[in-house]
Amino acid sequence: MTTIELANVSRWYGNVVAINDITMTIGPGVTGLLGPNGAGKSTLLHLISGFLEPSRGTLTVAGAPSWRNPDLYRRLGLVPERPSVYGFLTGQEFVRATARLHQLRDPDRAADRAIGIVEMAEAQHRRISTYSKGMRQRIKVAAALVHDPELLLLDEPFNGMDPRQRLHMMDLLEALGDEGRTILFSSHILEEVERLSGTIQVIVAGRLAASGDFRAIRRLMTSRPHVFLLHTSDDRRIGSALIGSPAVTGVEMTGRGLQVKASDYGAFSRQIAGLTRDQGVQLRALLPEDESLESVFAYLVES
Amino acid sequence: MTAEHGALPASGGVIHDIGYRRYTGLRLGRPAIIRALVWHSLRSSVGIGRGAKAKIIPVIVFVVMCLPAVANAVAVAQGGHRLVPYDTYLFGLRVLVLIIFIAAQAPELVSRDLRSHVLPLYFCRPLRRLDYPLAKLTAFILACLALIEIPLLLLYLGTIAQASGPSAIWAQTRALIPGLLIGLLWAVLLAAIGLALASLSGRRAYATGSIAIYFFLTWILAGLLDTIGGGRGRGPLTEGAVPAAAGARLSGLVSPFTTVDGVRQWLGGTSRGPIPPPGGYGPLYGVMFLLLLAGALGLLAARYRKADLT
Amino acid sequence: MFSGQAGTVASITLRATMGRKRAFLFALPAVILILITALLKIAHPSAPDWPSAILGEFGFAVVLPLTALIIGTSVLGAEIDDGSVVHLLATPVRRSTVIISKFAVGAVLTMLFTAVPEVIAAVIATGGLTRLAEGLFVGALAGSVIYNAVFVMISVLTTRAIAVGLLYLLVWESLLGNFVSGARILSVEQYSLGIANSIASDSNLNAHLGVVTAVVMGAIVTAGTLILAVRRLSAFSLKGDTV
Repeated sequence: MTTIELANVSRWYGNVVAINDITMTIGPGVTGLLGPNGAGKSTLLHLISGFLEPSRGTLTVAGAPSWRNPDLYRRLGLVPERPSVYGFLTGQEFVRATARLHQLRDPDRAADRAIGIVEMAEAQHRRISTYSKGMRQRIKVAAALVHDPELLLLDEPFNGMDPRQRLHMMDLLEALGDEGRTILFSSHILEEVERLSGTIQVIVAGRLAASGDFRAIRRLMTSRPHVFLLHTSDDRRIGSALIGSPAVTGVEMTGRGLQVKASDYGAFSRQIAGLTRDQGVQLRALLPEDESLESVFAYLVES
Repeated sequence: MTAEHGALPASGGVIHDIGYRRYTGLRLGRPAIIRALVWHSLRSSVGIGRGAKAKIIPVIVFVVMCLPAVANAVAVAQGGHRLVPYDTYLFGLRVLVLIIFIAAQAPELVSRDLRSHVLPLYFCRPLRRLDYPLAKLTAFILACLALIEIPLLLLYLGTIAQASGPSAIWAQTRALIPGLLIGLLWAVLLAAIGLALASLSGRRAYATGSIAIYFFLTWILAGLLDTIGGGRGRGPLTEGAVPAAAGARLSGLVSPFTTVDGVRQWLGGTSRGPIPPPGGYGPLYGVMFLLLLAGALGLLAARYRKADLT
Repeated sequence: MFSGQAGTVASITLRATMGRKRAFLFALPAVILILITALLKIAHPSAPDWPSAILGEFGFAVVLPLTALIIGTSVLGAEIDDGSVVHLLATPVRRSTVIISKFAVGAVLTMLFTAVPEVIAAVIATGGLTRLAEGLFVGALAGSVIYNAVFVMISVLTTRAIAVGLLYLLVWESLLGNFVSGARILSVEQYSLGIANSIASDSNLNAHLGVVTAVVMGAIVTAGTLILAVRRLSAFSLKGDTV
């Protein structure tokens, strides 16, 4: 069981604070690190992977600090964001060299296995300089997996991947997470994080804005109204009835249905059934409009 | 035409008018682009606009270069004479300072653009192919010129501050002018060679390395060939000295620094230089100067005329 | 190629350094040295001790330092510059292993491109394997080692390693070393010349340091710079991306 624990970690460069007092725990499973560009996701990953020293606070990975701790890499795999990699080596040579650096007992077999996992067996004898961006990403993941680490850190892993490769990588990460490994990946693309991870950590301007299950996060934000879309037999009638309820802050007739903004999610969901029955209106569908990570993210960024 | 937010018209898509306006004002043309490029390149060759670290080398070399001028000016103020000649200055110091400056800064001008593949951006503007290297060269020549001439001017000002009258001032001025002209030759030739070598590589490290190797290697070699060729080396000039051997007189051709000096002596310069007076071989030095300059310019032109610049 | 951690690092370094057009740049000073020597031999100059001047001053003041500079800054500097060193460092390999392996590759390559050409040029110039040739060979071997340690350290400390190394060579060794005798005690060129002179005993080499001083200082500088390099590499940081 490998956990990453941060306690009041800050990192600054002169006057610029890149990471501002972050406390969090990351456990087994897939966790997504979400945030806009420049929020500090890469900085955080570099801190966790031992390639940056915290200016303040304590950061431990599996119980020990990651800074100046090369032995940690026996249990940690890192897929950095920069696309540079030894272009003059073939894919196989690169992964095998990494295996040897990890002092694995059978480096060649471990390398073959890792290359197989990322489905790069066909291209492994070509030089990495001839690879496309997505292929380079995959070979980097193979190198990060060759020593079977319990911890995997990936910085924007889906950059430059086509949809098929992205799907495959997501399946791979999900499978690894299900095996009990701790997987942390960063992204500023909401769909990736939404689809892959249950737990997210949202970083905005160096601060931890939210962590946990994104639906749960959503529900915590009672200061913002929840938005629902209703399909009924008489939108206008239900609309005028709803506006009388204190749990509802807004009602709008749109071409797609009746859009209702509810400030109190619980009260609204309790009232809607009774209301429709009393008004004699048939409720055909009740859809949450902003359940997706997109609206969570947008609210957080705007705040 | 704005569509109602959220409603999809039956036909498909719609383009929203969000107020984008075309620029209909005056567009400055090619001369303005060239001027801007020269100004911007000049600034970056001395490290302005790039942060403190980029200024370290330019500032250090400039200070080092000015030291003899300042020291001599102080000595003159205390009653001494101007010991440093205008047309050769302190030759060895100039050589080393310029090697460092050019090796460090020429890559800043051209290698960065090559590495980050921005040349297509430049050339999709009304800029002709050769405008770019010409602008860069102009800027770099100006930077080297400042590095060479400002110490000379400091020396001059320090000397005439203690001058005894208009005739003394005029004498100093007459001595200064050739020095400034020779300095111009230095700047033009060395800047051209430096930029040409730097343009061969997008990696600043290799560019710096090649420039350093070329200048330093040829400089030391010229000095050695001079000594071996039977020249008087760099010791004090003795009265009634025999003209140096042919080998020594030709030794300067291998290095651009000594080539310029050979031209200087051929054109009548009398101050001591690193190589003995070329005598009959003077025209050779002139030819070599032109060859080196033409070669550097040709290399620059060829480099940037290539169709594929990404 | 080689196995084991050090071997893997060395193998990658060797392939990275010798690949591409860079290798041409290494060989250039050496080729010029041999060419000039051969040409001078044909030209029969009057000065009898020209071999020591060319091979000593040109070889040890230009060929050796510049070749060592290019090689020494690229064995580690290139990887740090483009970020691919992360793949090396994100493994349990000891940082000292990384530094020593890269330093060793650099030193051996430099020896190949300086000591061997020196002895070839010396043989051409003097007609045989004289004491001068032997001295120059050993001096170049020592210089390769010491220079590489210094330049590997510089490439860990700064991204502008070649410019800084050039400043050291031109300002410290060339300029100050010729005028300020105190600077010679910290000049790698003087260590190499001192060691060469102890075998060749040729005053034209202009060696200012005795062999004991040269060896002791050379060893101190080598060890000191490598230790410093290891410490800095252990604290290697990736800058967070601003995008």
